[in-house]
Formats: sequence, structure tokens, C-alpha cells
Amino acid sequence: MPGTERKDVVAEVLHPSLQQAAGLVPDLLAFIARDDAGEADFNVLALRLFAHQFQHNAAFQKFCQQRGRTPRTVKRWQDIPAVPINGFKDLTLSCVPTEQCERVFMTSGTTRGDVKGRHWHPELAVYDLSMTRNFRARFMAGRERIRMGILFPDEQLMPNSSLAHYLALALHNFDLPDSRYYLDSAGLQLDVLCATLEQVQKSGEPFALLGASYSFVHLMDALQARGLRFTLPKGSRLLDTGGFKGQSREMEMDAFYDSLSATFGVPRSACINMYGMTELSTQFYDAGNAELPALKSGPHWIRSRVVDPLTGQEMPAGERGILAHTDLGNFNSVTTILTEDVGVAVDSGFLLLGRAQGAQAKGCSLAVDEFLKAARA
Amino acid sequence: MKLQAAHLPGVDLKAVQWHTLTFGEGAQRVEVSVPKLAPEQLQALARHVRTQGGAQIRALPVSQIITAIDRAIARLLDTQDPYRQQLDRLLPPITGFDAEMVRLGLNAYLKTFRAPQLQRFVAEDFANPKLLDEFQPRAKGGMARALGPELLVHVWAGNVPGLPLWSLVCGLLVKAPAVGKVASAEPLFAALFARLLAEVEPRLADALAIVWFKGGDTASEGALYAEADTVLAYGGNETLAALQQQLPVTTRFLPHGHKLSVGLVSAAALDAQHLPVVARAAALDVVRYEQQGCYSPHTYYVARGGRVSPREFAQSLAGELAALQHKFARRALSLEEAASVAVWRQVQELKGQDGSVELIGDAGAPWAVAYADRAGPLLPCALNRTVQVQAVGALDETLPLLAVQRDFLQTVGVAASPEELHALAEGLGRAGATRICALGQMTAPEAGWHHDGRFSLLDLVRMVELEASAEAAAEPYARYRD
Repeated sequence: MPGTERKDVVAEVLHPSLQQAAGLVPDLLAFIARDDAGEADFNVLALRLFAHQFQHNAAFQKFCQQRGRTPRTVKRWQDIPAVPINGFKDLTLSCVPTEQCERVFMTSGTTRGDVKGRHWHPELAVYDLSMTRNFRARFMAGRERIRMGILFPDEQLMPNSSLAHYLALALHNFDLPDSRYYLDSAGLQLDVLCATLEQVQKSGEPFALLGASYSFVHLMDALQARGLRFTLPKGSRLLDTGGFKGQSREMEMDAFYDSLSATFGVPRSACINMYGMTELSTQFYDAGNAELPALKSGPHWIRSRVVDPLTGQEMPAGERGILAHTDLGNFNSVTTILTEDVGVAVDSGFLLLGRAQGAQAKGCSLAVDEFLKAARA
Repeated sequence: MKLQAAHLPGVDLKAVQWHTLTFGEGAQRVEVSVPKLAPEQLQALARHVRTQGGAQIRALPVSQIITAIDRAIARLLDTQDPYRQQLDRLLPPITGFDAEMVRLGLNAYLKTFRAPQLQRFVAEDFANPKLLDEFQPRAKGGMARALGPELLVHVWAGNVPGLPLWSLVCGLLVKAPAVGKVASAEPLFAALFARLLAEVEPRLADALAIVWFKGGDTASEGALYAEADTVLAYGGNETLAALQQQLPVTTRFLPHGHKLSVGLVSAAALDAQHLPVVARAAALDVVRYEQQGCYSPHTYYVARGGRVSPREFAQSLAGELAALQHKFARRALSLEEAASVAVWRQVQELKGQDGSVELIGDAGAPWAVAYADRAGPLLPCALNRTVQVQAVGALDETLPLLAVQRDFLQTVGVAASPEELHALAEGLGRAGATRICALGQMTAPEAGWHHDGRFSLLDLVRMVELEASAEAAAEPYARYRD
């Protein structure tokens, strides 16, 4: 029963440090627990969160004032100033004093050297409810539980990784016996994983393999070196996320899903890509990657726009722009963020076209990463 | 008919497939055809250039090669010439740069390739230029001769129009038959020049070929590089590293990687009289080619203590950038470029929340100046008329800030007193700089400059020495021996 589940969660989150947000979090949990919500209800809650964040987060207030936006002038969720993800590196975006926060998730820091973005969470009830409701709807395909293999380190090894927490939630809420991690501080446990995959193949029971996109590349390379391929039972699913981030060789996405499908015997339509960000509390999914680029969409408590990076104006439908997301799950930081991801708005979602390779070097002029490496050395 | 950007001596043109590159939109839309040669065709072309072209170019003395280049350059400097008219018409839509900016830039650039400049270019590297024509006696005894590559391959980038001319001319001056690979971003200039050169000097018609293939096309790359004994390439370090991996260890590789440049303004230049001139020169260096060149400035370090403060300099620079927009409009930015500018602006704005950085120019302006009261290590800006101005106590304080980019630092534009200039030069060199020039001249290197600190011609040749011992040992076998 979603109702009882919600009550427990609500009781737990009324932490003293959250008294300023009292009322907000329960309403938010209730909103997430609804089956759906229209534009008007979304708008009401978004504006309440904006007023709350404007009042309690000094850095954000200043950011808004520089743009001449206050709770008085902002009447539509689309007008809430979008904080660039760099803001999570340079500013402390938290309504609650950070020492009172249960968790902080950090970005991997690939674009600006050592500077990591920090996303402060006073507690994780909202994050966890957002993740589990959405994951059930978008990945579980009607099942309650499935046997899982995780291609990522666990939360103890990576306490500041939102992806580690996400995968832990998947495992704890949706697993069947014998689910486990196949990556630890020593790396990929290839022998154990191969044994599992062989056993699963014989058992006929569906299996889900979840992890970072680059972990899948390493795994496929290792399996290819051993000449191994599997045909996982019908109903098996794969979930990859995060792209390659220089952690593995870059692959064309088409080749990546072809290769996934060929290596594990799972149709591309059951290879789900999750698009998530440390700076958000909610994830986006596609419905398989039979065709690229796959349509991404999120649940009713997150809305996305495609904007011009310089003016912030929404792009005409069908034109490429930068994605901005308004995530009601971000009750303590900022609801609205401006990403560095390129997308196109389409009906019922958006197409993710990759990262804006901004200062892409054409000649002898510049490659920002190279200089940043030099400046760090 | 679409313009074909290629020069393919000895190739059966009927057997060539073409690929269309499209630039610009609407009335500015331009289509250029580039050849899609099969690896075997590339290989045959490279061999033809090496043998036929090599024989042609080696038969000419350097002085005649200079004459031929000079005649081609004179044609390109003539606004009535059809080749020049093609460049003026097509380069702006291809590169997106302002037409007047391209026209003025080309004139200034081409002037550095006239005969006297080319002679100086050769003299810069060869005390005795006749070394390139025949064996010359050496003061210590014996003879020596400088031989160019049997086949030189150029790999060009498309960031600045006309860039290929540098390495093309270097190759010609050392009599290297060459195959040049153009970038998709600017395939035109090299092809037109090669065609024009063949027209003004038919004895060089087979000495140059201009081709195209997509970067990363390893079959084509392999076929071409295998024929070369010297490869000269422009690009990012990753691209260059990938290219080098494909070359046999015996192939000479001359990479020109990414570079970063910077301007310095002394307190001596900061008074009411000099400010407008200095700020205008600094703005022009930013505007020219939208900072796409290796010599383009990313940051100006400005000394305190003058009658005009560094902050006022930043404001003047912003004013000049705003004014120059009317003369040379910034090109339309791609989404990626706009995103890059937006991210850079965001970072400056966020830094500015504590008052340490002031961003001048609103989001809609086609330029932006980020002024910081405290200087930091040299970092790149976002190009396309974004520039940092940072205050320092004195210019020598910048040396450690520049040295973090030692591997990338190239040009330093300086406005300072003679004493300061000469006192700084040694330190700038040690911090990695290879070129120190006036503000306003950053994008226009002198004829015969040592690109990235290297010897443009000497790096291409191999010396052949005929030692005195061989001459002496030959004497006993002479017919006229006693």
C-alpha cells in the first residue's frame, strides 16, 4: 500500500533541522506518491519550494536577485532562475546548515579539474521515494523483484556517489536472493560474474545487470577477450547510465547497444539507459534503445525545458538547446538547474544528444581539459 | 557546378568520387566538393607527387621557387584576380568570420609571403641559402648540402583561414613535394593556392596535391602516411598522439599542438593618452579570428600603479569590443560554442558572488570581459570574444602564473617601456613563451617567425655532409695525380 509506506517515511523525516521545511516535505512526499499531477499542481508546489529556497538559501537568494527574480515576481515554474551545475561547485546550495545534512553527493569532477559539485541532502526520504517509485515504473516492467548484478562499487566504498546510492536502493528494494555487487575495490570480479551469468543462463530466471556505461564497456572487453557470450533468459534487462567519462574507450551509442545485445543476448529494447545527475533527486529513463536517440522522460514531479544557453529562453520545438530541469525532489538545494547537456524537446519528453562539447578545439587554439590538466599539475 | 576543393595531379578525375561539405545557411549557404579517394588512389597520388613532383621541384633553384610563390601571392593580393575573388567570396561563409575581417586579415598575412620576405625566411634558417640547391664548401673543410623530404605530408586544422600557407611555403622552400590534407572546417584555401601555383609555374604542377578525408579514417591515413618521410600536423594533443601512433618510427613527425597566448599591459602604458590606443590594440587581438588562433589572447594581465587602473583598462577594453562589433560583427555561434560561452560566463558570475570577479557585458552582448582584482594562473577563456583582465602589482608577478601553462604558452603581447620589455623577455621565455610581440600584432606573426619556437625550414631538411677526409682520400685516385 503506497499510503502506509508514505506514513512511515513522513514520520521519519520530521527531523528538527527541517522544521523550517515542516509541511513542505510531507506535501512533497504525498505529491510524489500520487499517480500523476497536472501543470497547475506542479506549479503550486514548485513556487512554494522556490519561496522556501529563496528565503533559506543565501547564495541562491543572491543568484536570484542578480537576475531580478524574487518570489514576488516569479509566477510560473518556468521563471524560477535555473542554477548552472557549476553553481554546485562554487556555491553552497542548501537551506539547512550543511553539518546537519545526512548525506552529500559529489560529482566526479571531470570538467573543472578537482572542483567537485556538492549536493546536500538533509535526509534521503524524498530522494529514496523519488527513486523507487520511478524505478518501479520504468525499469521493473511489472515485476516486483528480479535477481540483480551491480557493476558499480557499493555505498560503503563510494559514500558520496549518488549512483552508488541509487544502485543500493535498487538492490535493497527490488532484489531477489543471490543479487550482489560484482565490483569492489579490487575491480571487476570477472570469474564470479561469469559463473553467475552461466548459471543464470541455465536457470531460465530473468536477470538484471545494472551499472555505469563504462563498466559495461570494460566487462564486454573482458568477455570478448575470453571469447564469452551469453544468452540471458527472456525478461532479463540491462540498465546503463552516465556515459563513458573517459573511464573507458568511447563507443558510438549504436555500437554500444549492439554490443550489449550481442554479448548478453538481451534485445536492445530491454537495454534501458538512465539519465541522472548528482545535482538532481530524480532520474529520467528511456523505454529501451532499439532506436537512437531514445526518448527520455521523467515522472510527474520533474519537468524539463530546452533553452538557449546564453539567454535562457526556451527554444522552438524541434531545435537543439541546453536542457534545464525543474525537479521538485530537490527541496533543499534548488529546484531548477541548467545542465550542460544538449537536447531536443519532443512530445512527452526529450531526446538527449550528449554533452555540449563547448570549446571544441578545431585547430591549434585550445582544448580546455588539456590546459586544466596543466594548471593542476 | 559546385566548387571542387582539391588539387590532384596525375589522378584520373573521372574515377574520383566527391563528398559535399555545406557551410552557412540561407543566402550565405555554400557547398564545396572534396574528393573521396580510395586508399589505393591516395597511395598512387602520393607516389606520383613523390616521383614526378619531386623531380620537378628539385630541378628548380630556390630563387625560382621563391619567384613562383611570389607571383602566386601577388595574384592573391590583387582584388581583381579571380582566385582572390573566390577567397573573398567563399571564405567568410565557410569560416563564419566577418567578411571585412577576413579581407584585411588575408592582406596582412599574404604580404608576409612576398619575395623579399621569403628570402628573409630562408636566410633566417640558412646562412647560405644555396645549401638548398647544391653542395656548398664549409669553412672547416668538406662540403654540405641540405635536402628536403622525399614526400612531405601536411595535416591542417581549419581554425584560421589561410593557415595552411605557412607549412605549404616552408615545404616548397626546402623543395619538398607535398600532399596536404585539408580540414573539413576550411577546405578551400590550400586547394586554390595549389591550383594557382601550378598555373603561374607549370614546372611545379605535380609538386603539390591537396586531398581530404575524415579525421579518424585510418585506412586513408595509413595509405598516405606510409608514403611520407615527414609529416607536419596541426591539432589537439590527442589528435596528434593518435596520428603519431600510425607513423613508422623513421618518419619525421613535426606536431603543432594547441597553444595559449596572453597579453601584458604595464603601468607605463596606462595613462589617459595611451589608454585608447592600447585598449583598441588589445581588443583587435581578441576580435581577429574570434580567438581561434594559437596566437590569440585569452587573458590580459594589467599592472596597478598607472594613472589608469586595471579595472578602468577592463572597461575601456569592453568599450572597444562593443565598438568593434559594428565594424567586425562576431560570427553566429553554434550551440556548442554558445554553451561554452555560457558556462564560462556562469563560472565568472558565480566567482563574482563574493565580489572577486566582475563580468562586464550582459548575456546578450557578443563579447564579455571578466575583470578580477586578484590574478590567478593563466586559464583559457571561452573564445569568441570572451577575455579575462586580471590586475597584478607588476608584470614580473605574472611569470609564475604563465609558467603553469609552459607546455602551451606561445605568444605574449606586451605594452611596456623598453626597460620593462627587455627585463621581462628572459623570464617570459623561461615561462614557455616563444614569441613576444606588440599588442595589436598578436595575430600577425612576422615573416620567418619560428613557429612554436622551432626552425620552420631546418626542421624539414636533412644535412648531407661530404667530409674533408673523403675529398682528401679521393685525390690519390685522380686522373691527374702525380
